[in-house]
Amino acid sequence: MEAYLVAIAIVGAIYVLLTLGLTVQYGLTGLVNFGHVGFFAIGAYASALLSLEGVPLVASFACAALAAALAAWPIGLVALRLRDDYFAVVTLGFSETVRLVITSERWLTNGVQGVPGIPRSFAGLGVGMAGSLATLAAIALVCLAVALALRRIARSPFGRVIEAIRDNEDALRALGKDPARFKMQVLALGAALAGVAGAFYAHYITYVSPDQFIPLVTFYVWMAMIMGGVGRVSGAVVGALLLMLFLEGTRFLRDVAPDLISAVDMASVRIGAVGLALILFTLYRPQGLVGDYTRR
Amino acid sequence: MTTTRRTVLAATSGLLAMPNVVRAQGETFRIGALNPVTGAGSPYGSGMQRMIGAAVEAINAAGGVNGRRIEVFSEDTQTNPQAAVLAAKKLIEVNRVRAILGTWSSGVSLAVIPLVNEAEIILMNTSGAPALSVPPANAKGLSYRFQATNDRFGRAFAEIAVREGFRRPATMAFNNASGLGNTEGFRRAWAAKGNQNGEHVVYEPNQPSYRAELLRVLATRPDVIVMGSFLPDTTIILREWFQTGTPMKWIIPGWAANPQLVQALGPAVTQGIIAVESVSNEGAPAFAEFDAAHRRAMGNQPGTANAYAAMTWDMAHTLALAIEQAKSFETAAINAAIRQVANPPGEAVATFAAGKAAIAAGRKINFEGASSVLDFDQHGDVTPDFGVFFIEQGQINRRYVVKI
Repeated sequence: MEAYLVAIAIVGAIYVLLTLGLTVQYGLTGLVNFGHVGFFAIGAYASALLSLEGVPLVASFACAALAAALAAWPIGLVALRLRDDYFAVVTLGFSETVRLVITSERWLTNGVQGVPGIPRSFAGLGVGMAGSLATLAAIALVCLAVALALRRIARSPFGRVIEAIRDNEDALRALGKDPARFKMQVLALGAALAGVAGAFYAHYITYVSPDQFIPLVTFYVWMAMIMGGVGRVSGAVVGALLLMLFLEGTRFLRDVAPDLISAVDMASVRIGAVGLALILFTLYRPQGLVGDYTRR
Repeated sequence: MTTTRRTVLAATSGLLAMPNVVRAQGETFRIGALNPVTGAGSPYGSGMQRMIGAAVEAINAAGGVNGRRIEVFSEDTQTNPQAAVLAAKKLIEVNRVRAILGTWSSGVSLAVIPLVNEAEIILMNTSGAPALSVPPANAKGLSYRFQATNDRFGRAFAEIAVREGFRRPATMAFNNASGLGNTEGFRRAWAAKGNQNGEHVVYEPNQPSYRAELLRVLATRPDVIVMGSFLPDTTIILREWFQTGTPMKWIIPGWAANPQLVQALGPAVTQGIIAVESVSNEGAPAFAEFDAAHRRAMGNQPGTANAYAAMTWDMAHTLALAIEQAKSFETAAINAAIRQVANPPGEAVATFAAGKAAIAAGRKINFEGASSVLDFDQHGDVTPDFGVFFIEQGQINRRYVVKI
């Protein structure tokens, strides 16, 4: 039981990290990033491939963040001139492109066969509980540090500028600020966070393949953010954990009441439940669980 | 806010506490059915899961294993390694299952196998990736594969191409591990026979049209096209090929060239297609049992509709017979007994009841499954025979069987 809870917590924390990245981009700055999974994939593959070449994990994690942030640069250049909806389309296209490149560049990524045997984080502690707990502690620490840093950023002058970009870009430009530069920084920051999440993911699951990085992951992150509360750091944390609760908690429904629903139907009902929750949130708590109720 | 959080916490801990209540009922042998109910494997996943349930029902009806009933805990992999890892953790840690049956895609099996090794339980999969056979993945020899590897399929294709006298084969592959495995296995085997390989085109899934890829292949004027494909894309490719009017022969895996394909395209288009399928032991007594159970559970669909369901049916049977043979619930003993009950020599048995009786009488048995005769090699892989089917006037007729 404990090991299962730890496993959920680790995956939950990976989603927290992803959601934090999206919170900076959309929640604070208003960038509609529908390609979050692309940065996640770049981080996962970068760290996986480097560590398989013998690079120590600390360095490979750093490279994962760097690679994801660098990948944000070109789309930033192209896309930041576009308005919201177009930016969404470009980023969605970007994440699919990343997936196709991973699929096609077999010399590097082993294509659709995926990369097996990625070293576990804290492998020195064995594959048992100790290693998992250490992984959980590490990722929880990273999440905490990031959450605190984001809080700090949100209250800084930089935070005020990016919130102003979200609220009224034209007004900001009239004040002599250059939104493009800020957007680029925010995009790279969010991407780096997704990259680190990807590295944690790769070294926890120990196997990556292109079909793990489908747009559904992006939309899970969006769901988490919307449920938790857009534009709030605490919302990102709560939302990601709530999402895990939905996805994993429903597994136990059938253990509790086995006759209520057949095994096969349950799988579909679970996805349906998440969808229903999302609709109900939009209807009754559009700001999310811990959203910002001070603004209208 | 506080109340919400509390309610959520209370509800969660309530949910988590429940399995303990469930755990309290009687001594059972617990197994996990971990199948792709949603996602890319969904056409097969429900059937696979239901047939594990059906097989276990039959086993329990015959008195269970070593006096214990088998209890099944079902989970969905969502055909996604991450979801599968969590589901497997739950099965292992919470439900305390002693074997996991029916992981379908290679990605899922590769992600689950480290957990299985760590927990020292048995994994039975239907994946194609060669990496699953050998260390590090199968370092402890706990994983059994009930499906032929993609490479074996490719080798069978090459045997057939030689036998049919083809000279200039081209290949088309769906871009995933299975599609590439088939065609690359074919190209390796074909080259090993001293032949020249033709054009090799890999196409991306989910396209409305494959005309460009098709024309690239047809332009090289092959005399046969060997496919590593699935049903939806094969349907489109064959339709577009027929519109070009070029005469062509096709060798297609049986999961793509099946009755649904004939139904979608009609007898004219599908005339002469060669379909290759690991011989799903049709005609064997075990298949008749499976077919009847499949029709009961799946709204009168014949068992031939889902080759993977036949494999999961066999998984439950093999495992149960191995437990009987081992007279033990320990993984090491069960693992050692699996080849004893599945491989020759021995009295061929098709049902659990018959096998149980024979074991009780002290005879060595050889379980002949519904999916294949199930003889495991040292890697835990089966090498089934391959049936070669020709589609003629809308009928899929088996002509001969190829052994590799």
